[in-house]
Amino acid sequence: MKFNFRVSPNYRTPLSTQRVMWEVTAAISVVLAFAVFYYFTELGTDYGIHAVLMILTSLAVAIGTEVLWALFYKKNILKHLNTSFPWVIALIFVGTMSINRPLYVSAVSVFAGVFFGKLVFGGFGYNIFNPAGVGRAVAALSFSGFVTNKFADVVTGATANQVMQGLGWVITKPEAVDAFLNQFGGLSGLAIGFYPASLGETSTILLLLVGIYLSVRKIIDWKVPLTFIGSIFIFTYAIALFKGMGVWYPLFHIVSGGAMYAAVFMITDPVTTPTSSIGRILFAMGVAIFVVIIRIKANLPEGVVYGILFMNMLSPLLDQITDGWVFKEMKKFYIQIGTLFVAGLAVILLVASQISYNEPVVEVEPVVVINLKGEPVVVLAEAVSPTALVVSETAEGDVTTFVVNINGYAFQSDHDDDPQPNTLEIKVNTATQTVESVSYVTFSDSPNIGDKTNSDVFLSQFVGLSIVDEAASVDVVSGATITSQSVVRAVRAAIAAALD
Amino acid sequence: MSFLTGPGREHLNGHKEETLHNEIVRVKPKKEVFVPLNNGSATKVDVYVNEGDKVLVGTLLARRNDHFNVPIYSPVSGVVGAKKNMMHSVLKPQEHLIIEDDGKYEKVESFKPLDYTVASREELVNFMMEAGIVGCGGAGFPSYLKYKNPVDINTLIINAVECEPYITSDYRFTKESLEDLLVGVRALLKMSTAPKAIIAIKKSKKEMCEQLEAVLKGDPSISVFKTPDVYPMGWERTLVYEFAKKRYNRLPSEVGIIVNNVTTAIAFARALQYGEGIVEKVVTFSGDGLKSPTNVRVPFGTKVSEIVAQIGGYASEDVLVIAGGPMMGKTIPTDEFVITNYSNAITILKNVKVEEMACMRCGRCNDTCPAGLLPVRINNAEKAKDLDLIVKLSADQCIECGLCTYVCPSKIDVTEGVRRAKRALALRKG
Repeated sequence: MKFNFRVSPNYRTPLSTQRVMWEVTAAISVVLAFAVFYYFTELGTDYGIHAVLMILTSLAVAIGTEVLWALFYKKNILKHLNTSFPWVIALIFVGTMSINRPLYVSAVSVFAGVFFGKLVFGGFGYNIFNPAGVGRAVAALSFSGFVTNKFADVVTGATANQVMQGLGWVITKPEAVDAFLNQFGGLSGLAIGFYPASLGETSTILLLLVGIYLSVRKIIDWKVPLTFIGSIFIFTYAIALFKGMGVWYPLFHIVSGGAMYAAVFMITDPVTTPTSSIGRILFAMGVAIFVVIIRIKANLPEGVVYGILFMNMLSPLLDQITDGWVFKEMKKFYIQIGTLFVAGLAVILLVASQISYNEPVVEVEPVVVINLKGEPVVVLAEAVSPTALVVSETAEGDVTTFVVNINGYAFQSDHDDDPQPNTLEIKVNTATQTVESVSYVTFSDSPNIGDKTNSDVFLSQFVGLSIVDEAASVDVVSGATITSQSVVRAVRAAIAAALD
Repeated sequence: MSFLTGPGREHLNGHKEETLHNEIVRVKPKKEVFVPLNNGSATKVDVYVNEGDKVLVGTLLARRNDHFNVPIYSPVSGVVGAKKNMMHSVLKPQEHLIIEDDGKYEKVESFKPLDYTVASREELVNFMMEAGIVGCGGAGFPSYLKYKNPVDINTLIINAVECEPYITSDYRFTKESLEDLLVGVRALLKMSTAPKAIIAIKKSKKEMCEQLEAVLKGDPSISVFKTPDVYPMGWERTLVYEFAKKRYNRLPSEVGIIVNNVTTAIAFARALQYGEGIVEKVVTFSGDGLKSPTNVRVPFGTKVSEIVAQIGGYASEDVLVIAGGPMMGKTIPTDEFVITNYSNAITILKNVKVEEMACMRCGRCNDTCPAGLLPVRINNAEKAKDLDLIVKLSADQCIECGLCTYVCPSKIDVTEGVRRAKRALALRKG
């Protein structure tokens, strides 16, 4: 018979740190699975596979880094991983990355997050900065503009926040509000999240559900996301009232960008946030203030990650100022929260007084003049100059048929960086000097985007156009501007050949 | 309030079903009992009997001789033996008086009974002092002090919450003593000058709630107050806050409330009616380290080892023996110690190894601390030996309820860190 001694209490909750981390893992996996599903079904297999590879690369690098660390310090590898949870960092990090990023950007950034963000501070529990946030900051600063050409079409569609930044983060004309929101399917479209952006950040509704699940399971403290989203709402609603905008404006701030993702997965990171209830409330409100200021006035379309990293630095200070016997300090806490709120609101309104509506330049794109004379085609992105090549010419009576190869912008069906051109068949009646028909022979452009041009509505516009009329023009397909323009170039090449 | 502070409480798996529905089993000492000659931490005791004296159940053996009056009555009839130093449930060796049990249990009236319906308030308070009624909630605070000068008391709370896991002794004892309970509550109500009394009990104990409501029908001055099934609902401060939504500095009388434990009320009733002090205790023996968890009624001074043997023995070779419940009870590294006159439970658990890992700063301990403290900050301050910070964090307000260790997902002994901080404070003050 053995009677042992242990200090009391000798009763423990079944909840362990391991289980907390596994439940977070499950939650973030659901969000990433939604993203992978979206890319596979809406943008095609190549996008889906790239999304999966991004996730796997991040996981491999994060776990690999920690395994090497454990080997270097001669620790038991499995035991180290079981108390260090690198995969959580990898998954939360990759959720902030957009699909057009090459794999090496994810790899280097997640290494920086795990190694410089966590391990060098002493490992799990001792790091000052949110490791996923560090990785995201490295990706944003060191690799800005590093995108894969394969998915360039996606990048041409700017995110809602980038468009909003172009408008100056304020829209005062009611009709402009509708036009702006309708690009993204309205607020509900943004909330549902079927659009390409950062992998995990798009579906506000899914994130909300996951957040509620984690709160009910007591894995995250519900007060933190609630304070964060609530503060963003109040601060931006104040801007809306100040600038004469409606309630759509604060809602846009919540459903667009990474606010909801950060609310559920990043500012709830226990290690890098204060330990007291009041401290966490102050932390969440502080991040909200940074997010709003960075969004509306700074150089970046999104401020969540920098807001979190700034406030991470203040966590020890917040712990310190909220020290004391809680029941005796309530008055102090009310003053602290009130002061931060009033100061934040004042700064935000001051900044907001400096922003104004940038009326968008009237778009010239919708109409493209196809005649050779003058400089008819809207200038494309500098990096791209598609060239049209007439490969055959067959005359049959008055009608001459031209087969034209045009290398568009975003060929993606070929994986070997050896893009195949689109081939078009263009018939020109030399007697009446008009275009008879335009049709695709082979189509190699990006699915779901470029192939919108392969439609009667677009192609029939060319029928009957005079090849000598200087004002002849067609409307481009919205969302496939570049492919539309390459079709126009093909037609121009045929016309040039016909007039020769 | 709880938005800013956290809930300050937690639902625990009570493991009460194991003993809740079973009758109390009477267990007798084998040959002798060991009467501890101490009262809590006080060890100055006047002994009134000598070796070889014949005593009866209820004979006055000793009396605490400092400013508190706490008599100790003989739990058995028999012959007084020698004194012996042995382990006590306070986790320190104490002097015990051996009494050889003759197995007859002949009784003697310890003092004169009193009819509370005719006695004056002052007479009742004096009787309570003479009878040595102490709080049965664990602290052993002499109850009469609460009733000496009641000012603006609006409610008497009878605490039947029993929130510590595994323990059902109060529940079973109350269930078998409802008549005595009513006498006790009415007497206490008269002493308190309050217009009403409430009996606080967890709403999860439906059967008892219904039973109490049935016997209280027709008495508007006493009612049942159902509390949530959370820990530490039975702590005076948590209970008063739940009932009145008020916090106080030192004593609940500041907010017009007197709190007494349900077993105190029953003990007082028995003293009033039969002139007997506490000579036997109902004690819960529970936990996964026992073959058959049971509530036992034993003369105090009976050895734990003898009781365990009589109710079926241990279920494991490697156990923790806890004097009290698993949250607040002390682990005693032997079973050779006795039931005291304020014991309510012995919890015996299988010894399961706990792996501690780094604190992830989640703050669950801060959010659940019922005293409104920040246990993780106190732990850090203690590790840094920052006494000023420990003072600022009011570590001395900790009642060691154990909830911070319970909720810690990293399995850190948070409560022990706070204890070290409290010791550091006490050393500096001293």
